[in-house]
Amino acid sequence: MTTVAHPPRIDLGAKTAAPSQKGSQFVKWITSTDHKTIGYMYLITSFSWFLIGGILALFLRAELTRPGLQFWSNEQYNQIFTMHGTIMLLLFATPLFVGFTNVIMPLQIGAADVAFPRLNMMSYWLYLFGGIMAFAGFLSPGGAASFGWTAYAPLASSQFSPGIGGDLWVMGLALSGLGTILSGVNFITTIFTMRAPGMTMFRMSIFCWNALLTSILVLLAFPPLAAAFLGLESDRLFGSHIFDPANGGAMLWQHLFWFFGHPEVYILAIPFFGIASEILPVFSRKPIFGYKGLIAATIAISALSVSVWAHHMFASGQVLLPFFSFMTFLIGVPTGVKFFNWIGTMWRGSVTFETPMLWVLGFLITFLFGGLTGIILASPPLDFAVSASYFVVAHFHYVLFGTVVFTMFGGFYFWWPKMTGRMLNERLGKIHFWMTFFGFHLTFLIQHWLGIKGFPRRYADYLPTDGFTFMNEVSTVGAALLAASMIPFMINIWITRKSPMVGVDDPWGYGASLEWATSCPPPRHNFTSMPRIRSERPAFDLHHPHIKTEGH
Amino acid sequence: MPLEPRLRKSHLVRNIAVLTPLGFLLTGCSVSGLGFEKGLSSVNDTSLSLWQGAWITAGVVGVFTAGLIFWSVFFHRKKNEDFPKQTQYHIPVEIAYTIIPFIIVAVLFAYTARDESKITSKSVAGVKHNVLVNGIQWAWQFTYPEAGPDATITGSADNPPILYLPQGEKVGFTLTSSDVVHGFWIPAFMIQMQNLPGVTNHLEFTANKLGDYPGRCNILCGRDHAWMRFTVRVVTPAQYQDYITTLKASKS
Repeated sequence: MTTVAHPPRIDLGAKTAAPSQKGSQFVKWITSTDHKTIGYMYLITSFSWFLIGGILALFLRAELTRPGLQFWSNEQYNQIFTMHGTIMLLLFATPLFVGFTNVIMPLQIGAADVAFPRLNMMSYWLYLFGGIMAFAGFLSPGGAASFGWTAYAPLASSQFSPGIGGDLWVMGLALSGLGTILSGVNFITTIFTMRAPGMTMFRMSIFCWNALLTSILVLLAFPPLAAAFLGLESDRLFGSHIFDPANGGAMLWQHLFWFFGHPEVYILAIPFFGIASEILPVFSRKPIFGYKGLIAATIAISALSVSVWAHHMFASGQVLLPFFSFMTFLIGVPTGVKFFNWIGTMWRGSVTFETPMLWVLGFLITFLFGGLTGIILASPPLDFAVSASYFVVAHFHYVLFGTVVFTMFGGFYFWWPKMTGRMLNERLGKIHFWMTFFGFHLTFLIQHWLGIKGFPRRYADYLPTDGFTFMNEVSTVGAALLAASMIPFMINIWITRKSPMVGVDDPWGYGASLEWATSCPPPRHNFTSMPRIRSERPAFDLHHPHIKTEGH
Repeated sequence: MPLEPRLRKSHLVRNIAVLTPLGFLLTGCSVSGLGFEKGLSSVNDTSLSLWQGAWITAGVVGVFTAGLIFWSVFFHRKKNEDFPKQTQYHIPVEIAYTIIPFIIVAVLFAYTARDESKITSKSVAGVKHNVLVNGIQWAWQFTYPEAGPDATITGSADNPPILYLPQGEKVGFTLTSSDVVHGFWIPAFMIQMQNLPGVTNHLEFTANKLGDYPGRCNILCGRDHAWMRFTVRVVTPAQYQDYITTLKASKS
């Protein structure tokens, strides 16, 4: 092409050759400020937490298979579900967003790195050590925190939950939360200031838009959580009375916690909606349908998500039910819009079913059901019937597992060649998907009925006469299948570790966003040359210049 | 022509797609309370139809949306190497799929607001009896003021207490907690409310069918949370009076 000027290349010679020894590779990683390396560290660490949280979930399922206590005491059971929830939400899913955004976002906007590479590195170390601190409670004499990941006051006070495990939990999560806040600052700055020439806001990929809105939500939600945690620790350690029930502390905690807790759900969901929005167009060979409407819907969801926190408190008798109910119902509208954007992308497309696409379809079906039970829970009279039961447990696993885990694997299979230069095995990927899909639905679908029949969440035990035994058995069998589905994934990573490099910029052939216009894996500063950015599909324009996008 | 059989096939699938939600609608109306029983309490009388209606709506929306997903999965899969039309916007469709969900949730909210105000309304005049429900780690305490200020029944983990309620007479509940947050939940009656320390909550409803119903604490309250159970026993008004009388005698 005559129109593209090639930048001068600097030959650095043998100095950039990869260190041959594992030790120096390790040192290179832990001292790295490269957004990709830090992103991989985030992805590896959060995926490790996913496995640990999953093992804790198996401990819970094992206990619930039969009535009576078989494996754990009540107190141990409480510790296990507390840490399961904490790990899955704050040490797995939230940092997973940071990981994907770190790896992908600078590539998609055509930046060389994030705005503050060293701050980025510090965020990672805060997260790593904060997480280890919270988990280290298991090594303390009284065990880990056992007051639930919601840590309701005054149960989480030193009076009702003494022991260093609770303090480690509070301060560990405050530390890790600080890391998340700093990542949010970093991502917002990067997106606003470091986009490549031609990359206007409305040419940015949906994933980057979603990363931006998620980062804004992080700045809205995590500081109140940090404040609440520091207040709680001050109560626990110095005997202050911030969350003393005599001063209305029980409700104060619920408000502060859920003012974080509800946006947090969208902090977990929105980036992963972004991954789905990246994968669907590539395997439908069409642009994302209703691009601007989709962005508007995400902005609407983000705005609404900070005005619905009290729907977690309908049964407290202390909140304005109609307001929070209506706002919650309203979230159904932009969420519905998103669904139709995704369907519209596939509609009359040329759809193929490579592994990333399968995961996204699994996400669509699972999240659809989770969204519909969410509409039911948005209605206070119906919430009074099933709130804090296994119906709610099933609902949020459909929403969160459906979104985070399904699109996480979709993203892994999709961007694996971009990150490593090698493809994962398609056959194993499909086995992995179907095992996860059936395992998940076998585990959680039946929990809706358990909740309707009156099984409260966070119960270590139930009576043989309660009639919960069979449903719990089914759920445990599903959990075993779900756990086993990780085996083909591990085998996949292992057997493809030395498979041939893909050698092209876009191994899927129809990639739209800018990361598919650089090599697999990308060079140290991401691009050796930058294509012209004239639409929201720069890589597609580069590889398929003859295809015309139909506007309206 | 390859086009014709494909068209016929789409007609068949379209008919199925239209008839399935209809079938769901019809069975939803005639079948049970979808997990809850009719007529057990005044709350069921209000909430059950909303529960059914919400599920029917969710079913129709769910089947329609899943139908569209499967439609494109089956009929819009890759057939040749030609690029499909690169459609990016379709304003009328985009307006439709914004407005229709809004109407659906607005209708659901209208019914919700009506029913929710019924359930939470306080009618001091209509209340025939009062019961104080207090949560402690890890048991329930029921106090019947009609039988004197000390007429308190305290349960234990091994011996869950019985909450007596008169059939067909409205009872007002005062919910408190002595220590941490507890959850007063009677699943069969479709009702729950938190017992908050430092806060007094009120709840009113009428139990309408004789029998025993399990009640469970559903807000994590510490070690023996799973043992914080109680039984609701709905008795005739005469039996209720007898119970109050024996309670009064035993406490004095």
